[in-house]
Amino acid sequence: MTTTDSDVLNVRAAAHRARRRSKIAYTLYLILGLVVFFLIWQLIASPISPLFYLIPPPVDAVKHFAENLMFSQRMVDRFVHACPELLDELEITGGGMFDLPDYCFGYILHLVRTTRNIMIAVTLGTVFGLTVGLSSLVFPRIADVVTPIAGFFGTTPIFIAAPFFVIWFGIEYPLMTTVGVVVFYTTLLMYFFSRRAADNIPVGIIESALTLGGDRGSIFRWVYLPGTIPEIAGGFRIALAGAWGLGTLVEVLGPQMGGGFLIRMWSFAMGLLEGPSAVVSLILFFGVLAVVVDGILVLFIRYITRWSEAGRRLGL
Amino acid sequence: MSTVVNFENLWCVFEHRSGQLVHALEDVNFRVDPGEFVCVVGRSGHGKTTLLRVLAGLQPPTAGAVKLGETAVTGPGSDRAMVFQQDTVFPWLHVKENVEFGLRANKLPEDERNEITDYWLQAVGLEEFADSWPRELSGGMRKRVALASAMAVGSDVVLMDEPFGSLDYFTRRNLHEVLLNLWFETKKTIFFVTHDIEEALILADRVILLAEGKLVDDIAVTLPRPRNEDVRATPEAVGIFKLILAHLGITEEEATQA
Repeated sequence: MTTTDSDVLNVRAAAHRARRRSKIAYTLYLILGLVVFFLIWQLIASPISPLFYLIPPPVDAVKHFAENLMFSQRMVDRFVHACPELLDELEITGGGMFDLPDYCFGYILHLVRTTRNIMIAVTLGTVFGLTVGLSSLVFPRIADVVTPIAGFFGTTPIFIAAPFFVIWFGIEYPLMTTVGVVVFYTTLLMYFFSRRAADNIPVGIIESALTLGGDRGSIFRWVYLPGTIPEIAGGFRIALAGAWGLGTLVEVLGPQMGGGFLIRMWSFAMGLLEGPSAVVSLILFFGVLAVVVDGILVLFIRYITRWSEAGRRLGL
Repeated sequence: MSTVVNFENLWCVFEHRSGQLVHALEDVNFRVDPGEFVCVVGRSGHGKTTLLRVLAGLQPPTAGAVKLGETAVTGPGSDRAMVFQQDTVFPWLHVKENVEFGLRANKLPEDERNEITDYWLQAVGLEEFADSWPRELSGGMRKRVALASAMAVGSDVVLMDEPFGSLDYFTRRNLHEVLLNLWFETKKTIFFVTHDIEEALILADRVILLAEGKLVDDIAVTLPRPRNEDVRATPEAVGIFKLILAHLGITEEEATQA
């Protein structure tokens, strides 16, 4: 029996169909998972549940978020706003807090501020961590100096260090506090990930590059940089995922600004009907934001590590 | 092609964690003329790879020297490209970029790089896979990429450390042919480490026998080429085979079982 062109086409078509079926199955299971999640949530929030008073139904949380996103009467009542610069200006001009525009009393500015701070902090931390980590591959003495220091700080769990940062920078400098903690955490994480990624490149590959005439510069550029991308990308995902939690936690602890501060503000009103809805809606917002950002990141990682099966798996 | 390789009173001694000294190479002396195909044969752990690594400049000798012409080897360089036993193709580079790596590292202009790369891809039969990722290739094809990369860099001496050891018999035989064709064409000096006596008889002009780090024999293989099954069954070939076995302390029964 001989294989004909049409046999080959049939096999390809079958493989294509199988791949499509697998994608559809993945999407269906994803939807099923979300439906189950919301059903359980609805069940826990129903009057038959002992947690009825603490957990609002999903619809209430979403409704609360939508209603308070651009303007929140509750925040006006509690004298909470997110326009410090504008307030300074108003004080100088003799205006009052109630002269502030409506959006200053919505969640939006707080959430944008948290998102911006975390993005700035993760970017800075990644740049610092990778600069030191990757430079140490070319100049090993850097690793000799930095690794013990990083190891010392790395052994202190960041969640222990966070309150000290809040005390250190106080609540006067919210940007410094949130950004400082996240930069510290991201720098350490990215340093360790870049070192580990380089260690995981097989020695044979470096030796092969050497015998082909590679020098320090060319090996760094064409071996270390691309070879460490999958693990560094994985480390970046972990850093970013942790940064959402850490940044918000720092805001819960100290600064008078940001999504974490909103959660703290509402935590004092948990007994009120709106309290749980507010807190859950904010947690939901950060959860969805983290998932969306991670999804975009995964697409990007898949693209830049398309040469690697491990990279593909890492991006899944 | 004019580089003579000289191994002069070469010693390589390692200190084991227990403090015991391991003599990987002991006073090895031999000379290889340009264009020779030399197979280094020996049991596992008897110094074959160490010998090659010293020649590659990846391992400094404890005493003695390896000289290319009059110049002692002090470190790795593209004048001694090496093909390794393990898979060392860069997975993040396309096949063509892999072959181009050494040329790029040696700062050749792009036009020249393209010309050389295309030539070697064709020579190893991978021109259709130039834009493939290494993960899309079979083990044998990846070895061809490694071979093309080492050949393309333009070194007079090519080192091969059991490069086909992990491949199946048919792929290995096919790669032997590819390698011999390239060698006939380029007349580069090839050092080929193997523990497979039959492989050495197919490929080599000379067999350097190492046992416990010492050079125990230097055998000229004068069998006619191509060395097909008939040639390998001649009394001369069988004689060399038995001589190597005797030097390595392997009985014919052991060899048959292996």
